[in-house]
Amino acid sequence: MKKATALLVALLAAALLFAGGSGESAASDSGKIQLTFFETMTSPGRTQVLQDLIAEYESLNPNIEIELISPPYEQADNRLSMMLNSNQELDVIEVRDYTQKQFVNNGKLLDLTPYLENWEESDDFLPVAHEIARNVDDTPYILTSCLYVKALLVRTDILEQYGIEIPTTMDEMYEASKELSQKAPNQFGYALRGKSNTFKISDVLMFGNVGNIDTENCYQTTDGKYWLDNENGKKAMEQYVDLFKNGCPPDSINWGFNEQINGFISGTTPFLVQDPDVIGSLEGQLDPDCYTVVPLPVGTSGYRYLDYGYNGFAISTTSKHPDEAWDFIAWLNGAEKNAEFCKAYGPLPVFQSIYDNDDYFSSDKYQAWADELVAEDTIFVKFPIDSEKYPAWAQIQEQGMQAMLMGNVSVEDTINTFKEYWGY
Amino acid sequence: MRNKWYLLMMVPAFLFILAFLYIPLVRGVVMAFQNYNMFDLTNLHFIGLDNFKAIITDPYTDFWQIMWNTLIWLVFSLIFQFLLGFTLALLLKKPFMGRGIYSGLVFYAWALSGFAIGLIWSWLFNGQFGLFNDFLVRLGLIDTPIGFLSTPGLAMVSVIITNIWYGVPFFGIMLLAALQSVPNELYEASVLDGCGAVKQLFYVTIPYIKPTIISTILLRTMWIVNYPDIIYAMTNGGPVNSTNILATQMINEVFKQYDYGQGSAFGVIIMLILFIYSVIYLKLTRSSEADI
Repeated sequence: MKKATALLVALLAAALLFAGGSGESAASDSGKIQLTFFETMTSPGRTQVLQDLIAEYESLNPNIEIELISPPYEQADNRLSMMLNSNQELDVIEVRDYTQKQFVNNGKLLDLTPYLENWEESDDFLPVAHEIARNVDDTPYILTSCLYVKALLVRTDILEQYGIEIPTTMDEMYEASKELSQKAPNQFGYALRGKSNTFKISDVLMFGNVGNIDTENCYQTTDGKYWLDNENGKKAMEQYVDLFKNGCPPDSINWGFNEQINGFISGTTPFLVQDPDVIGSLEGQLDPDCYTVVPLPVGTSGYRYLDYGYNGFAISTTSKHPDEAWDFIAWLNGAEKNAEFCKAYGPLPVFQSIYDNDDYFSSDKYQAWADELVAEDTIFVKFPIDSEKYPAWAQIQEQGMQAMLMGNVSVEDTINTFKEYWGY
Repeated sequence: MRNKWYLLMMVPAFLFILAFLYIPLVRGVVMAFQNYNMFDLTNLHFIGLDNFKAIITDPYTDFWQIMWNTLIWLVFSLIFQFLLGFTLALLLKKPFMGRGIYSGLVFYAWALSGFAIGLIWSWLFNGQFGLFNDFLVRLGLIDTPIGFLSTPGLAMVSVIITNIWYGVPFFGIMLLAALQSVPNELYEASVLDGCGAVKQLFYVTIPYIKPTIISTILLRTMWIVNYPDIIYAMTNGGPVNSTNILATQMINEVFKQYDYGQGSAFGVIIMLILFIYSVIYLKLTRSSEADI
């Protein structure tokens, strides 16, 4: 009897310990279908927008209840990976450009082909959004939601003050940056990104001056050779070093996103290459009349090579309600709600009708991005996100570029190091 | 019978510790010997010491520089945190008007998040818009701003200064509590024996609070080695790897490169180093304690 009591207490303790750990969350106590939605690009403002949209969807669909999981931004991708890999039940998940391949590799995303075949808004979906959805194995595993494409933000007031024209080519921007740096103490030209995913900006600046970039893998030219391992590549790197030494604040070697924005707002660096969500960061801090946005200047090749960052929604293979999950993401990512979401949060929407009809996205600030997306001199390229070498690349490139910009390592050696890393 | 019930009541706590400490710990150690990369989990298998070999011989991330950086980060942070914390505790030991408020303000730093501290200090040290540069320029001491965080040697000094600021209150709090437990009779007796203030410090105060000093130094060592927050927020390990320590590289491996295998290998290395350090440190301090 005593032993039985002891065993019972021990079992009770164990049960208490693991209570709530079960993944069975398909139906709530109210009898409604419960969907779990995992957001990864979290921020307080963005999560609130999603919560409002979820509340609206729930009021339209009283039999559905959606639980939003929004971990802190820094932990979100890893936490999602852990949950997926331990086969916890999730329905809708937010997938990003650099997690798409990983989740597909590990068999965690549902093929959306049957749903997309009958999707009414398919024709309005931008071609690039369709392409992104099929980025891995040519199968639509995600419904693209937002695009992040670089453009050039220019402090027009400062350029006018010094009588400098808005640049249309990369050479002009480099020269203007150097000229601005001569004008006054603490006045520089370009807001260089020295740390945290540096390659997303530095490489985009140089692609146009190298030319012949392979669209499927921007780290090689169309002849299959490493993109910097040629005369144009070497010259593009030398120009970048020259830009840093003569047109950027020396401290920018340690600049991340916040410092770049601060440099632009203060006017210290009137040129800034950034994604469209930067507009939200500038609101309330900088008079909109003081700046404009123009397409990224073209390189000596006559082209601008842009990569597109993106995120989208997917259905987890552990979902017990894939049809309901699809209904939700098709509503959340329809043209109307996509415009609403992007307006509140800042990135580029993915429907042609939004650019055609929505006053906000056809305004001058967004016009540059709208123009870039369809411009003949724009070529969209992909970083080799499929490569297993890609996740470590950001740190290696950052260290290599910092060493080169500080003069510790030559341009040639830096190119050779990068070339060797990518196995060319 | 009562003893058995006591044992039974400990079961929940034991299960908690097992579930949240030992199972993850063992899992982490096992991962260090697997090619556990989130990028592709379909090919998961044991690879022996390959993760350790890979991180030690990685040509792109200099392991020995990371080890050296960790040592510099630890030694200078610890020495100055202890000395300033001890001084602070000695100053706060004697009552004065507003001591409570003053102590609260000084100790507040300890309650702040490391990442937030890093962000605040990165703006103070900023080479373009930073307060320190502005101050130095206004005082006429420099003409052009100093790149505190963009110059390799200065970046390490800057993150260590920030860490010292953060860690001083810990020693202050702990040593102040210990100082307040020293009986006044010991000081009175030492005065009769002709001791001055300095002799009192070395022959009465320090020996009496030695157990606290030993345990706080041990604890703080472990925390400093395992503390990537400030560096992460201020320099991200740069420029050119100059502030990258074992803990920041471990975070990089896991959160940016999704390589849990190599991240765990860094974790195991940290654990081993701290284990060896703790054994040697405790042996040395115990033997010196016995000498007293």
